[in-house]
Amino acid sequence: MFGNNRLPAFHPGLTQSRIRDTTTGSGLWFPGLRSPPLPSESDPANDQLPLPITPEDLYDTPMAPFNPYTYIRCPCSELNPYTKRTPDVTAQGLSRAAQDDDDHTFDPRAARSNYSLYPLEYLSFCEDCHQIRCPRCVAEEIVCYYCPNCLFEVPSSNIRSEGSRCTRSCFQCPICIGPLAVNHVETPPDPNQLLSPDHASSSHSGSYVLSCSYCNWSSTEIGIKFDKPNSIHMQLAKLRNGGETRLTAKERKERRKEQASQGGGGGSSTGQGEEDLDTLLDMETQFANLKSFYQNQLSDANGTGKVGGDPSAALGNLGFDAPASLSRIMSLYTGSSSLHDKKSKSRPGTMREALAPSEGLQLASLDESSAITALQDFESTTGLDAYSSTASTTQLQSQAPYLGASPLHGLTRFTSSLRPIPYLLRTKRSKRCPQCRHIISKPESKVTTTRFRIRLIAGNYIPTITIKQLIIPGLTPPPMPNLPPDTIEPLKPAQFVLTFKNPIFESVRVTLATPATTPGRFPAKVTILCPQFEIDSNTDVWEEALKDNNATSSSSQAQNLSSSTGPEGSGPGGRKRAGTLRPGTAGGASLAGEELGPEVGKVWERGRNWTSIVIEVIPASLVQTAKRDGRGPIKEDEDVLEIPMFVRIEWEAEAPEDEIMPGLSSTKGGNKDGGKEKRELAYWCVLGLGRVARTL
Amino acid sequence: MSRRPPRGEYIETDTGNKVARKATLVGTQNIMLGGKTVIQPDVMIRGDLARTIPPAQSASGGPANNTAVAIGRYCFLSRGCCLRPPGRMYKGVFTFMPLRLGDHVFVGPGTVVQAAQIGNHVHIGGKVVIGEFAIIKDYVKVLDGSVVPPNMVIPSFSIVAGQPARIIGEIPEGGIEAFELRDLYKTVGNNPQPTAP
Repeated sequence: MFGNNRLPAFHPGLTQSRIRDTTTGSGLWFPGLRSPPLPSESDPANDQLPLPITPEDLYDTPMAPFNPYTYIRCPCSELNPYTKRTPDVTAQGLSRAAQDDDDHTFDPRAARSNYSLYPLEYLSFCEDCHQIRCPRCVAEEIVCYYCPNCLFEVPSSNIRSEGSRCTRSCFQCPICIGPLAVNHVETPPDPNQLLSPDHASSSHSGSYVLSCSYCNWSSTEIGIKFDKPNSIHMQLAKLRNGGETRLTAKERKERRKEQASQGGGGGSSTGQGEEDLDTLLDMETQFANLKSFYQNQLSDANGTGKVGGDPSAALGNLGFDAPASLSRIMSLYTGSSSLHDKKSKSRPGTMREALAPSEGLQLASLDESSAITALQDFESTTGLDAYSSTASTTQLQSQAPYLGASPLHGLTRFTSSLRPIPYLLRTKRSKRCPQCRHIISKPESKVTTTRFRIRLIAGNYIPTITIKQLIIPGLTPPPMPNLPPDTIEPLKPAQFVLTFKNPIFESVRVTLATPATTPGRFPAKVTILCPQFEIDSNTDVWEEALKDNNATSSSSQAQNLSSSTGPEGSGPGGRKRAGTLRPGTAGGASLAGEELGPEVGKVWERGRNWTSIVIEVIPASLVQTAKRDGRGPIKEDEDVLEIPMFVRIEWEAEAPEDEIMPGLSSTKGGNKDGGKEKRELAYWCVLGLGRVARTL
Repeated sequence: MSRRPPRGEYIETDTGNKVARKATLVGTQNIMLGGKTVIQPDVMIRGDLARTIPPAQSASGGPANNTAVAIGRYCFLSRGCCLRPPGRMYKGVFTFMPLRLGDHVFVGPGTVVQAAQIGNHVHIGGKVVIGEFAIIKDYVKVLDGSVVPPNMVIPSFSIVAGQPARIIGEIPEGGIEAFELRDLYKTVGNNPQPTAP
């Protein structure tokens, strides 16, 4: 849909048609995620599921209607002396870059542009640098961690010890990723007990399972049941698939001791107990065995080598976190030839490799016949394709690392052995300006509150631009009959109304510039009919209303006021008046313009804090150009008419007091008289006007 | 009646609710509207599915609060959506539980909501299914066609999509204002106002 990695402008449903174009999950993008992990159609796991609504049911048109958009380019992608991105940026290179910047217009189709263009709502604004900041250039700091399911905050010390997953009872379905609920299951009553008079008491002997209410998966499928409904995470950690309990660290130690006392734990013995242990060797046990094996060796070597050293102290110093032992192990594996280490040379052959499972040796099981028979069995018993019994990549990826799993070669391949996924924790993050280190955004640290302590968003500083195609009945030629709606005809002038809405309390002067023809494969001619204009300040709605009432006390406006003075009337009243004022404030020119069509150099319409102007485009013919330039067929989204536009806004702001304070950066723009200060801001943006029809 | 207002498409109440005449509200005595809420034609609200087991405190003499569907202010229920209180077994008996919507909740066309609770400033797209006892917190956007599984909890500032729905993104700081439904409220009714530019 919307190719590139950009977000279609998000306006929560003003009309039905508008809502529909925010639908496509494929067009959605958010910082940090390049491709949304939506369930794919080909996912075997999803094929098994009953899908109540298919995408075909949802969209009767193959292509979602186009939603005009404005993306703003963050200045962080420019080469500037403040950000030392490339080390080889010399003064020459910089000046060349600056020249390049002046000479070339911004190309929204360039591969690099994908990473600097953002919808306005994604952008922040640093008040100290007076500059736009994007999610890519701000520095984020984690305020708190919380579980997205139980909404409990997790202290950061727990993150270090327990990992970044919820350790309560919050789990996701391994098959469909839906949430799992803890359900009470009653064991089917024993027929013998049924006969007994007190069978009522036996019904309480049920246990608990995790079950998915979306795909009906249940933890009984992997043979896991729980004794109590709380702290499932702890219980699950102890259970293997099939319900077997895992050995705790203590039990493992005891077992090892037992073995040592039985037969010395040597690799030569091939007793019955040895085989048993081999099959039980999961990742955790193997690591523990290996660790104790090497630790023993180290302590032995050290004890014999050191003269008069306390053996117990040496043991304590030679944990695996001790740098000395780490270097020894490194030298052990890198070999003495590559590292000219005296220590490693002085002690060759002091260590041997693990030889038995009790020492952590795990032979790779390369025998795949059991997996193959499992596949064949699945096909013969269910009649389904065996592929559907295997876990998909996304399913495997979402699995949490589980130490109880058999190592390396025994990783699960079947959906039947996937384990419930404990929820990954989520964070609340604050944002800092990359240059001045001031905080741009800071949410309240409490998980359940949605307020922000600091929230400097670009939408409060720079004007919003909305795009609408201009169609004047009688003047605009009727569109071609078999053209899909909202498409632009090639080689014919089309006019669009750009409405700039001023969010700040000072009136703003806007200067626009575009290249005469858009860069890229299909150049369109662009003319801004009114490249310079002013937008009135975003004054208080009541102030505005009172001012107008004094100036013209017409009855219609009085009515308007009275109608708006209900409860909650202040907001709507002001806005309504802005609507009625439209023809009046625009003056005769606008009124005449509405009849005559847009005029060059004149504003199209204006209101309380907004001004709209007209832009005229003549798109190139896609089909003809594609035929001529020999660069192959029209690629996806190449038919979208994107116009780069340079916006420069100037306003006079009251010099804030904190700028005079020492220790802060010097005032920008200078020219301070009477507490007023000239400010300006300039940036590139991209207007996505619509799709060009593939006719002609 | 001398001052009978002209019969419009909507019934506008004193508290500013705009309820379409063609909407189907069942069990209206169990439906609470916070005010300034728009209910478009063909919307169905199942107020008749009130809880059958009285809550513990009302049994002890208090006034029986039998609200099945509670809706906050400035909610917008689009054409053809359905609000249905969720039900489950509770102490061996099946009972419905109330469905609560916060303020500024947009429910898209053709959507079925069976959630336990929907917070403030929530945008639910069209043809969405919100499963039973789902909890949606504030500032959440559910994209069109999603199926939110039962019992799912969606934390604040999430963008949710898919079947089953999963969290696919975060609402940026600047995207909060877009959840306001005051302007949308004005665009419908018997004398709708044009949208502000």
